[in-house]
Amino acid sequence: MEFHKLSALDIAEGVKKGNWTASEVLSAHLQRIKKFDGQINAVVTLSEESADRDAKEIDKAVAEGRDPGPLAGVPFLVKDNFCTDGIRTTCCSKMLSDWIPDYDATAVKKMKEAGAVLMGKTNMDEFAMGSTTESSIFGPTLNPRDFDRVPGGSSGGSAAAVAAGFCPIALGSDTGGSVRQPSAFCGVQGMKPSYGQISRYGVVAYASSLDQVGPITRNMGDMAAVMEVLACADPNDTTCDSYKRPSFSEAALEGIKGKKIAMLTGYDAESMDRPLIEAIERAADYCRSAGAEIVEAELPITMKHAVACYYMVALGDASSKLACFDGMRYGHHADGRSLAEMYKRSRNEGFGKEVRKRILIGTCILTRGYYENYYVPATKVRQMIADEYAELFKNVDALICPITPALPYKKGLVEEDPVRIYLGDAFSSIANLAGLPSISLNVGFTEEGLPTNVQLMGPRFGDAGLLAFARSIENKAGSPQVADIENKGGCGE
Amino acid sequence: MNRETVIGLEIHLQLKTKSKLFCSCSSDYIGATPNTNICPVCLAVPGTLPILNDHAVALAVKIGLALHCSISDNTRFHRKHYFYADLPKAYQITQYEHPIAVKGYVDIFAEGKEKRIRVHHLHLEEDAGKLVHPTSDGRLTGAAYSLVDYNRGGMPLSEIVSEPDMNSAEEVIAYITQIRQLARYLEVSDGEMESGSLRVDVNVSHSNPDGSLGTRVEIKNVNSLKSIERALEYEIARQNKVLDEGGHLAQETRLWDDVAGVTRSMRSKEGERDYRYYVEMDLAPISAGSEYVRKISESLPEMPWEKLDRFIKEYSISLEESLRLTEQKETADYFEACVSEGAPPIKCANWMHMEVQRILHDLSIGINDFPVPAAELGKLIIKVEKRELSNTQAKDVLAVMVEKKASLQDAVRLSGVSDGKISGAALEEAVKKVLDSEPEAVKAVRDGNDKKGAKVKFLRGLVMRETRGSADPAEVSQVVVSLLK
Repeated sequence: MEFHKLSALDIAEGVKKGNWTASEVLSAHLQRIKKFDGQINAVVTLSEESADRDAKEIDKAVAEGRDPGPLAGVPFLVKDNFCTDGIRTTCCSKMLSDWIPDYDATAVKKMKEAGAVLMGKTNMDEFAMGSTTESSIFGPTLNPRDFDRVPGGSSGGSAAAVAAGFCPIALGSDTGGSVRQPSAFCGVQGMKPSYGQISRYGVVAYASSLDQVGPITRNMGDMAAVMEVLACADPNDTTCDSYKRPSFSEAALEGIKGKKIAMLTGYDAESMDRPLIEAIERAADYCRSAGAEIVEAELPITMKHAVACYYMVALGDASSKLACFDGMRYGHHADGRSLAEMYKRSRNEGFGKEVRKRILIGTCILTRGYYENYYVPATKVRQMIADEYAELFKNVDALICPITPALPYKKGLVEEDPVRIYLGDAFSSIANLAGLPSISLNVGFTEEGLPTNVQLMGPRFGDAGLLAFARSIENKAGSPQVADIENKGGCGE
Repeated sequence: MNRETVIGLEIHLQLKTKSKLFCSCSSDYIGATPNTNICPVCLAVPGTLPILNDHAVALAVKIGLALHCSISDNTRFHRKHYFYADLPKAYQITQYEHPIAVKGYVDIFAEGKEKRIRVHHLHLEEDAGKLVHPTSDGRLTGAAYSLVDYNRGGMPLSEIVSEPDMNSAEEVIAYITQIRQLARYLEVSDGEMESGSLRVDVNVSHSNPDGSLGTRVEIKNVNSLKSIERALEYEIARQNKVLDEGGHLAQETRLWDDVAGVTRSMRSKEGERDYRYYVEMDLAPISAGSEYVRKISESLPEMPWEKLDRFIKEYSISLEESLRLTEQKETADYFEACVSEGAPPIKCANWMHMEVQRILHDLSIGINDFPVPAAELGKLIIKVEKRELSNTQAKDVLAVMVEKKASLQDAVRLSGVSDGKISGAALEEAVKKVLDSEPEAVKAVRDGNDKKGAKVKFLRGLVMRETRGSADPAEVSQVVVSLLK
């Protein structure tokens, strides 16, 4: 049985029916990780002992006739910025290299309660700041579809792990595209739900008003199932909305006949990689053939200002949320002759270059004078972007647009052309600014085997409807298969 | 010279909630072992998020309403950034642009007249932890290391910011006293400067002849009414001296040195921190709807100034007496419970002012710990009114009630006054008094010159008059005879 090729729902069904045990499934996945992760470097910490214990618990529940949960025995990995009880949580930074939390993030807790088995933690850009997963203290992650390319970031480890068949589900966090861009680069499905859909409790913050937990899977059926598990109010996160969620799994089965989908126009398509433009056209065709109407839409304010606005908001907040890492109560500590010197040295030594840069820019943005000239206008533009989308969604049910302007970058580009990488957030960061749900959906691969994903967006808390759209397209496009890593950096389908 | 000192205050009240402002840690931290009253949230452990304590919001709204403020229906929190060991997040969650209550006032009595002090706004914020420096004077200077106790970190504070409407130390003291009284009436804070549940920062400036305000100096580290008074006296004189000599005042923060009796510059405006205030996105905006505000408004108790007016009108007692009685809500409640037994208000007020106050003082306790229930004191006062007990006797009975925690009935019996009759020790006392006042008759009896017993009868009559006929004549004769032996 090639467990690593199964979907999460198939694994769970087999576990519940007694076709196989959670322990068997776990051991197959652990073996695959051990065999191939030496090359890919998607996983930074494995917790075999606790995983083994959890899998046995599931098997026991099945044996005793108890309900083991909707994700019974499904092995999963989480990005290393999710707090995990008793398992090192480093944010892939020297700052937290030996920090072990004593609580589970709500999302992790929900997955465990649903019967899923936590295997360990995945690689990421340090403190989720980056788009290539190259700034980790554990070294870079490679793209399982092409070892010469980056897996995207910052949740590159999670996306690579799902693509490599290390797990059918991984969790990431998405501040400006950190779940969806690596999903696009690795050719898997990634979702950033509406802001306030999933609890952020226990996810080490990058930017409070942008961060959202996002699942990565290989098909939309699994995605809907995970959403159903994760999306709910949490007393520990008051920004997580308390509205009653619909059944995402049921909603995802609904068709899109008669629905109206907008295709984004008015952006510089010439500067984009051609296969990604073709992917959008393909996706639109799939929608048409599923009975949806395709219209065109322009978002002039958004397209002009999103990236600048995003970096103002994100870095301002990052400078604030990362201020707690002073090396006094946890994390990297360096001695000094005074309190100020201790802080300076601890932070200088603990944070990497990109993180220090972003903290400095963010601090500057919030400083008197700059605040009024940069941060305040950015918040106003942010509102205008949200308004532009609210207006759009009065007339259409969803939007199709690029998720990234480029196919996966070659390794090392971040050093050569960092601005190009920042600009790569142009399409993905919009959903975070406006709080909207967004899915990075695979609609096939190039001849070289590079994935071509598109972005689907919907109105705030229209997550269920968006899943239905994605599923309808996936039904036509097919869901991506596990990368052929056995034959070294080979391509998927 | 038309220069006038103008003073504005920032008063921090620690709110009486069960838990801290943003986590479920207990607010009962005083005396606790350092760093035991903490949790991941108030220690800023990565991944944790603040959860707003609704009760603290309700208490802040309560104070806001009592201060005649308008309650903002859209209020938010901000982050105030600075690195210091007592602040785990490196920012304090406070309110900045959108405080919960704005534009109010409170009336004070000072220098013999009433004055209205405007309140600029009231906001909610979290307290910081506490640094402990292992030096003999507890100061940072010279300490080889410092310890930090986070037990207080995250405690809810309500900061009341006044307009610069005060002109003297006396007005400042009256204002603080009024706010403290209000806080206690509303039961929102203990308002104790000693324990730090009420803290004051003083801003001193002056108004120029053209009406504009001069340079503002903030004074910190004033931890008692006395030190506020002294610090103000010093600072006003210092500022006047500088200005009289044609100098300029620096906008700065000065620390009061209670030992040296001076204020010292702590930091100037140039050195003023940029706190990089910005919206706290981990907390949703609070919308105190009109229905919510109405409910709290309806739950407000009678305000001290309302009670004062009512006491004067309803009980016909003097302003002075009413002020005394309404200073503490508990005292006022006790008084009213006394009166409701049917005792005359003026008599109740006198008893409370004289007797009860004396006992409280002697025992160093508050009215809440006074062992005699108000109803019992009321009944005792009625007995005096009905002349069942003399004033002296009633005081004795009260003493027994306090000492033995006895009921009125038991205390009357224990002090030898039963069923309205004067007997036992009390009677003996009355007899002695009569004998002392009639030395001739006493001498006559003792010398054997009262063969017919007329003198004894005469003395017995006097005792009966002294005890207003409430003694048993046979017992009186017996006591008189025995004391004359």
